[in-house]
Amino acid sequence: MFSRWNWVACGFYLVLSICSPDASGGLVQSCGHIIPESPVLALGSNFTALCILNESCLDFGNIYASQIIWKIKNRLVPKEQYREINRTVSSVTFNDTSSLATPLTCNILADGQIEQNIYGITVTVGLPPEKPKNLSCVVHQKSRLTYVMTCTWNPGRHTFLDTEFKLRHSWPEEIFPDCIPKDVNNSCTISDIQFFVNTEIWVEAANALGKAESDPLVVDPVDIVKPLSPQNVSVSSGVLPTGLKLSWENWISDTVMTLKFNIRYRIAGDMNWMEVPSEDTASPRTSFSVQGLRPYTKYVFSIRCMKEDGVGYWSDWSEEKTGITTEDQPSKGPPIWRIIDASHSPASWTVHLMWKALKPFEANGVILQYEVTVRDKSSLSSPLKKYNVTSTNHTLQLPNGTYEVTVIARNSVGASPPSVLLIPASNSKAPVKNLRTVPKHDKLWVGWTAPNSYVLKYVIEWCLVSSSSDCIIEWQIALGDVQGIDLKGIKPFKCYLITVYPLYADGQGSGESVKAYLKQDRPSKGPTVQTKKVGKAEAVLTWNHLTVEEQNGFIRNYTILYKTIDGNETVVTVDPSKTEYTLSSLTSDTLYTVRMMASTDNGSRTGPDFTFTTQKFGKGEIEAIVVPVCLAFLLIVLLGVLFCFNKRDLIKKHIWPIVPDPSKSNIAQWSPQVPAKHNFNSKDQMYPEGSFTDVSVVEIEADDKKSFSEQDLKPFDLLKKEKSTSEGHSSGIGGSSCMSSPRQSVSDSDEGETTQNTSSTVQYSTVVLNGYRDQTPVQVFSRSESTQPLLDSEERSEDHAGGADSTAQRQQYFRQNGGQDETNTDRPCFERTKQITHANEGDLVGFVQLQISGQSSQPLGLGMEKNTQEAALSNVLQTCTEGQTVRPETVEENPLSVDEMPKSYLPQTVRQGGYMPQ
Amino acid sequence: MAAADSPSAALRRRDLCSRGIRLAGKMRADVVDLLDAYVEQQGLDASASVAAVEGVPLAAVERWDEQTGTQRLLENLAAYRAFRTLLAQMLEEQREQLGEADAGLGRALAAVLLQVSAFAYHLEELLRLESRGIPGEEEDGPPPPPRLSLFEQKLRGLGVLRELAQWAVRSVRDLRQLAKPSPATGTAPGLAESP
Repeated sequence: MFSRWNWVACGFYLVLSICSPDASGGLVQSCGHIIPESPVLALGSNFTALCILNESCLDFGNIYASQIIWKIKNRLVPKEQYREINRTVSSVTFNDTSSLATPLTCNILADGQIEQNIYGITVTVGLPPEKPKNLSCVVHQKSRLTYVMTCTWNPGRHTFLDTEFKLRHSWPEEIFPDCIPKDVNNSCTISDIQFFVNTEIWVEAANALGKAESDPLVVDPVDIVKPLSPQNVSVSSGVLPTGLKLSWENWISDTVMTLKFNIRYRIAGDMNWMEVPSEDTASPRTSFSVQGLRPYTKYVFSIRCMKEDGVGYWSDWSEEKTGITTEDQPSKGPPIWRIIDASHSPASWTVHLMWKALKPFEANGVILQYEVTVRDKSSLSSPLKKYNVTSTNHTLQLPNGTYEVTVIARNSVGASPPSVLLIPASNSKAPVKNLRTVPKHDKLWVGWTAPNSYVLKYVIEWCLVSSSSDCIIEWQIALGDVQGIDLKGIKPFKCYLITVYPLYADGQGSGESVKAYLKQDRPSKGPTVQTKKVGKAEAVLTWNHLTVEEQNGFIRNYTILYKTIDGNETVVTVDPSKTEYTLSSLTSDTLYTVRMMASTDNGSRTGPDFTFTTQKFGKGEIEAIVVPVCLAFLLIVLLGVLFCFNKRDLIKKHIWPIVPDPSKSNIAQWSPQVPAKHNFNSKDQMYPEGSFTDVSVVEIEADDKKSFSEQDLKPFDLLKKEKSTSEGHSSGIGGSSCMSSPRQSVSDSDEGETTQNTSSTVQYSTVVLNGYRDQTPVQVFSRSESTQPLLDSEERSEDHAGGADSTAQRQQYFRQNGGQDETNTDRPCFERTKQITHANEGDLVGFVQLQISGQSSQPLGLGMEKNTQEAALSNVLQTCTEGQTVRPETVEENPLSVDEMPKSYLPQTVRQGGYMPQ
Repeated sequence: MAAADSPSAALRRRDLCSRGIRLAGKMRADVVDLLDAYVEQQGLDASASVAAVEGVPLAAVERWDEQTGTQRLLENLAAYRAFRTLLAQMLEEQREQLGEADAGLGRALAAVLLQVSAFAYHLEELLRLESRGIPGEEEDGPPPPPRLSLFEQKLRGLGVLRELAQWAVRSVRDLRQLAKPSPATGTAPGLAESP
């Protein structure tokens, strides 16, 4: 309990001793302090600090050195670095001051882990200054009498401390005031410099850790002067057109130093300076005449100076001053050339003279005019022609001949030497040889080999080749001793036509031309290829040359690339002069894709794809197939014809059976009295009994004419009954009229073959209407069988039949017919049969006749319908009277009277009003 | 003399002579400029006649060409030491009279003073090369100037500057004479005769 109170009292004392004012001094009474106080330490050195406790604190607070802890910026220093020297002193040691920071504090760890600060110091770590190096000084002239010396040096490494630099200078017997740099640490400027005395100059650097001094620089300040450049520079024209006088003032006294100079000059607009030889200006002066200048040229001058002995520094270049030399007469005549146009008339020329304006250094002034003189060399008596021209071209109309043209340029001072051009009648002299071009950066070098004769000059013409415009000629003259020039202003990727003419003393050589590119590129487009002709295994391709603007270089070759859809590409290289190529060994009937590539030295460009399909057959193959086939066909036809001709009787019998002409039929005049006209006899002869295999004969015994309508159903009733045995054999008229085709009638028949035979073959049938039950047959009618549907005819026949005798009967018939149509559609045979049997004898005759006469209004279909109707009828009859024997003779037994029978098929019924075409 | 015979000593001597000649030339030019500024600033007449300044040897001397090199150096040294004292006194009086009102004249005076000091140093170096002892400054120095009135100070200043300009001319000639090769050094026995 005591101990606890003791510690509380101790803490209270510590707080009081730290915070309360001291009774004697009025300051804080600390329990200890650190030695050294706020040290400045060299970076990397070791350092030891001591914390010394006051004795008074020991007695009252029970604190000892063993309780001291050290901290660096609130970071505890490891206790291994502590050392308790005695009960009041504790030390801490740092082997490397780079680990130190501010503040370093000494603290007491009292009982109860209460930490109290005793003292703290600020630690400054840095480096001593290095020896300043590379001291150099320059004396700058500021005015006529004012000089300042600026010295610079290398201050060395950063010291992390406040370091003071001093520039010092002294004479052996006098030390001058120091120069303290402001804001910098590497330069200082000293005013009041005295020349001609060796002055020792050095730099001192000092900080808390040390002091360093540079090597001294001993120099007479006059030897390190950079004087002001010459002032008030002026340029004046001299007497000579090739000289200018330069004047200036020196601002440095001769008593200080004598000067030498540098003079530089350039042509205005040209950035390249020229210098007057230094030995010419190595002595003190205030003017200089520059010689060797071009007349009438603007020059820019500048001058600088330095100590005559060359010790010291050059001044800056003075401000630039300009001057213009005076004019002089032109130094040379203008280069002249001509273009001769003889297209209008062969006897006279249009000569376009052209010359180049003199360059400024040649013109030596302003060219006022050109004097052109033309002399006809072929005629000595002809006078000189003179022209004064202000432009650089002149056009003359001259007769064909040889002329000497002279051009003189004139300025205000004088005239140039004459330029002479000989215009000969023809260019018959030797041309240059081995004309060639070589690109050199942005210039095109043109070279040639000189002819054997002496050449005065060469004229080089060039023009840009264009497909859309004429060549605009540019030209240049080269001296006769050169064998190559550079053409300037040549555009890349453009084709130029270059021609070189040698000019001899007595004439002109013929021109030698070459095409050239400054720079080539790949073509701007590829050729468009298409086919001219396509065969089975070959195709002729054609294309147009690229225009010169599209070529961008010399076309070295064309490349044709072609392939099938799934095949490999085939490449063919073609000479660039060609515009056509034949692809061979192609596959027939195959789609090919072809494209074409044009190549220059610098690349290629491919044109658009073009597709074509080779033909299936080659030339003549179709003819080789078709002609033999046709021949074979013709041969077969011929053989067939011959065969048919040989077998014409047999064929005729099958194909064209003898069909009696109904108009010539005896039926028309048929009467029992003239049976001889009936041609059944002949038929009988042609088709004797027993050979009639496909002819049916139906004998129908006609009943009483008046009771026919009632009784004629009876035989059909019989037929019905017999149908039980012949059912399925119905065919013929009924089938044909009910069905729309014979085939359908066949389908109704059980005996298809028979029906088919009867329907497909033309038959001749004989209908014999015998009298019913021993009555006299009403009519014997024979006709050919036809497959023509009979419905219309029959309907018409019914109409006519009805109208012939009794309207009532016909109406009755129609009623019955209508009812049967509605209820007995499955019995076509009987219906038709009823229609027939409803008619009385006369009606029946009329029916047949009307049927034919009704069809006679359709003459083209007459025969067929007649045949069909007859066949149908015969079929019906045959079917319905199966087993009965048909005899031709019965025809003769029942002839109709002539009066009862119409004499022809003319539509008599129409006249009777019973038939109207429907 | 042995030192003077060595090549380095000869070079040093030539360099000192050359530098001294140019320094004397510049000093004369500066003094002439300073005279103009001084006359104008002090309100004096440029043509005013001024008595010889006490303590300064006269530049004009008879039989100048018969003087030995050492004699020339010693006379020059005595004169420039006197000028150094007089110019320092003038500069002090100038500051007392004008304060900082005319700093240009003061700077010019200070510059001339420096040149005089430098030239005196050159002369001492040349005497060392001649292996001659350098006389003590107190012995040859001018006596302390009496207290003068302001006008007398101005006139004395004018006289000092005029005499300095004269001496500058003479010094150039003396040094050129010294700078000449052997014949000049042939007068060395004369040096022994000098006190």
